[in-house]
Amino acid sequence: MDFNVSADPAHVVEFRKEVGAWLAEQFAGHEHLRWSASWSTRENDEEYKFRRGLAEKLGAKGWLFPLYPKKYGGAELTVDHQMVLETELFKYGLNLSHTFYTLARIVAPVLIRWGSEEQKTEFLEPITRAKICVWQVLTEPHGGSDIANCQTKAIRDGNDYIVNGQKVMVGHHLPPDFLWTLVCTNPQGKRHENLAWLHIPASLAGITIQHMNLMMGIKNAVFFDNVRVPAKYLIGGENNGWKVASTHMELEHGGDGRIAVDPLIERVIDYCRKTRIDGKPIIEDPGVRDLIADMMIELNTLRRFNQLIYWRRFAKKPHPYGGPQQRYYQRMMRLRNGERLQAIMGADALVQDLSVHEVVDFEYAVRTGPGQLHGGGTLDTDRLIFARRLGLGRPTTEKAPETD
Amino acid sequence: MDLSLSETQEEFRKVAADFVKAEVPAHQMTQWYKNKQTFQPQLVKKAGEIGWLGMMLPEQYGGSEVSATDCAVVFEELGRGPVPGPLFTSGILAAQIIFEACAEEQRKILLPPLCKGESIVVPAITDKAAYWGQEAVETRLSKTASGYIMNGTKPFVFDAQAATSFLCAARTEEGKVVFLVIDAQSPGITITPHIGFLVSVAEVRFDKVAVPSSNLLGSSGASWTTLQAALDRALPVLCAYQVGASQEVFDITCEYTRTRVVFGQPIGRFQRVQDHCVDISIYLDQARWATYETLWRLDSGMPARAAVHEAKAIASEGYYQATNYAHMVWAGPGTDYGHPMMAHSVLAHTLYQYLGTPGQHKRLMMDSLFPRA
Ligand SMILES: Cc1cc2nc3c(=O)[nH]c(=O)nc-3n(C[C@H](O)[C@H](O)[C@H](O)COP(=O)(O)OP(=O)(O)OC[C@H]3O[C@@H](n4cnc5c(N)ncnc54)[C@H](O)[C@@H]3O)c2cc1C
Repeated sequence: MDFNVSADPAHVVEFRKEVGAWLAEQFAGHEHLRWSASWSTRENDEEYKFRRGLAEKLGAKGWLFPLYPKKYGGAELTVDHQMVLETELFKYGLNLSHTFYTLARIVAPVLIRWGSEEQKTEFLEPITRAKICVWQVLTEPHGGSDIANCQTKAIRDGNDYIVNGQKVMVGHHLPPDFLWTLVCTNPQGKRHENLAWLHIPASLAGITIQHMNLMMGIKNAVFFDNVRVPAKYLIGGENNGWKVASTHMELEHGGDGRIAVDPLIERVIDYCRKTRIDGKPIIEDPGVRDLIADMMIELNTLRRFNQLIYWRRFAKKPHPYGGPQQRYYQRMMRLRNGERLQAIMGADALVQDLSVHEVVDFEYAVRTGPGQLHGGGTLDTDRLIFARRLGLGRPTTEKAPETD
Repeated sequence: MDLSLSETQEEFRKVAADFVKAEVPAHQMTQWYKNKQTFQPQLVKKAGEIGWLGMMLPEQYGGSEVSATDCAVVFEELGRGPVPGPLFTSGILAAQIIFEACAEEQRKILLPPLCKGESIVVPAITDKAAYWGQEAVETRLSKTASGYIMNGTKPFVFDAQAATSFLCAARTEEGKVVFLVIDAQSPGITITPHIGFLVSVAEVRFDKVAVPSSNLLGSSGASWTTLQAALDRALPVLCAYQVGASQEVFDITCEYTRTRVVFGQPIGRFQRVQDHCVDISIYLDQARWATYETLWRLDSGMPARAAVHEAKAIASEGYYQATNYAHMVWAGPGTDYGHPMMAHSVLAHTLYQYLGTPGQHKRLMMDSLFPRA
């Protein structure tokens, strides 16, 4: 066994130097944006512009999807190269799974799996090179968990679909180029067989977007009013939307693994070293030490879960419950860590510190606790899938949908 | 044994419930919390008229001389709002500190206007967020000919923006912790509301603020022990407020499980959703009965210090966890700042460490049960 993620084989030794030097150049003068990650809640323009710019530059080199064919915006490199990219990016708190506000991490593999050759040629490259921003648009107001009960209608009319309906809690504070959407093609049709997946240009007439002010930041309601969507934007074929959705959700639900580490603990330790009560730094307080130890253990556990999933993915060893396990654990851990932060630092953990560009601003970490439990499906959905993948109460275990 | 409320207490409860219905309807309350406009002067005025400010004080100071349990019954109902503003901070906590610390003359000056809601006295005790105790009092007093100059920053003062005066803890040149009241309009005071996942809290800076000696509470500024005596009566009332708030969270959440239909059935039929509600109910009931047992101890003249700390630990943790589990049921819609859940969530996070975290109160409970050498 070898847990080292940066033990480079000979053929990538030079590549690591190249990537390291290139990243240092990109971050020169922007060091304060280290760790600025992919979530929408900070709504910080400087951070957003820098990260989108960096993504485009990575994309231009094919480094966002290093394993993909060049014609799809990849670099035709090896998994070893990918590991180099991930570990070098991680020095800046980033990694390739980060969406850079583009959703590329999910959309690209789904297109590879379900797109026609024509669609791959037309749609993939702008996504894999991070030229455009896609929103995932699934949830409807009457109940997000049951997305198969989709009420947004797309009725075929010649070479177009006419789309009508409403989605909620999607996207972020900046406008999208495309809406990656599940729609119902036949309200009378059989469940799971009456759905279609559309990649809808956001500029089409009849689309209205309205901000929603949520705990985690800006999200949006999207209204479709007789939107005419050309059929070339149908992904995965007529009435095959549920299968496309399954691939999409598996990717969203942590099924692709990660080799990055949450930087939260570094900042907690720093705070506890600097904060003194009665002359003594609180890191010497036994109660505080216990709390930090609990945080560390859970963050380390999550790192190991992520690494295992990542390894299995490239070693092609199926790990059916890896995704839901990682996701459920991560969310409950974040909830517990929010409380631990307050237990350690009281109200200091609740004040937004905009001088911190990192998403590990304590206030963010606390607020995300209860806020991040629902995005992309609730805790209960995680556990439901987890149980199916363990084969509980059924003769066989459910397989994870295909993602590669 | 009788664990029911008395007839008078039922009446108190009804008056408070009617008040919440009329003055703090959910849609209005949600906007106040969302826009951080939680100081609503009309609520303080009405509370003063009804007699909820300084409720436990003797009548000669403007109080109603009710028992701690009577007072808690009212505050439980106010927590259901949750009614914002300094009803607890000034009306209960400051009132009790002044009562404990002062002799007749000062009580007569400070308490009657407080009980009418004409003055709002807001406690500003510790200077460090990460600790609750006199070690965290760092604001300094330097002696002058006519009194003191005060310098320091109270980083988190609950209801600071409502204050007509602050009731501060500070350190003398000899290092002793004393208590004093300071007019909120005094030159040198800066109040900065916080931005973040908290509500009704501001930083209050005292920059070379001149304070006459007569503003010290009692003959020599009282002590941390005085504060503890006041907290014994005040904290259980705060606990009751959190119990009421948790009850409201529980009730609206259970109702939602009956009306929200997903996968063709009310979500309350899913065992996982039932489990979240069961968890809320446990946090709620453990807080409720720890609080009322403590109140009973106080009203019966029994030793209550450990019970007070226990109740504070359980009730703050309880409200916090009640909102967490409720969020699991409400999922997406409950995270909208236009939804009452968000008011509860932000308030529960704010009250979690107000006057000490659950962890700190657990330690204080152990210290009072098993004093350390
Ligand atoms: C921060 C955030 C970001 C989001 N981002 C996006 C986005 O980018 N795109 C997008 O499309 N959506 C997004 N969403 C919406 C999210 O996907 C939904 O909130 C989620 O799917 C749940 O739907 P709901 O909120 O309507 O809850 P409901 O479906 O109404 O669920 C209510 C309760 O019922 C439970 N429940 C439902 N069905 C079952 C069942 N079968 N078994 C057991 N329990 C069940 C749920 O677990 C929950 O407790 C986001 C939400 C949040 C909070």
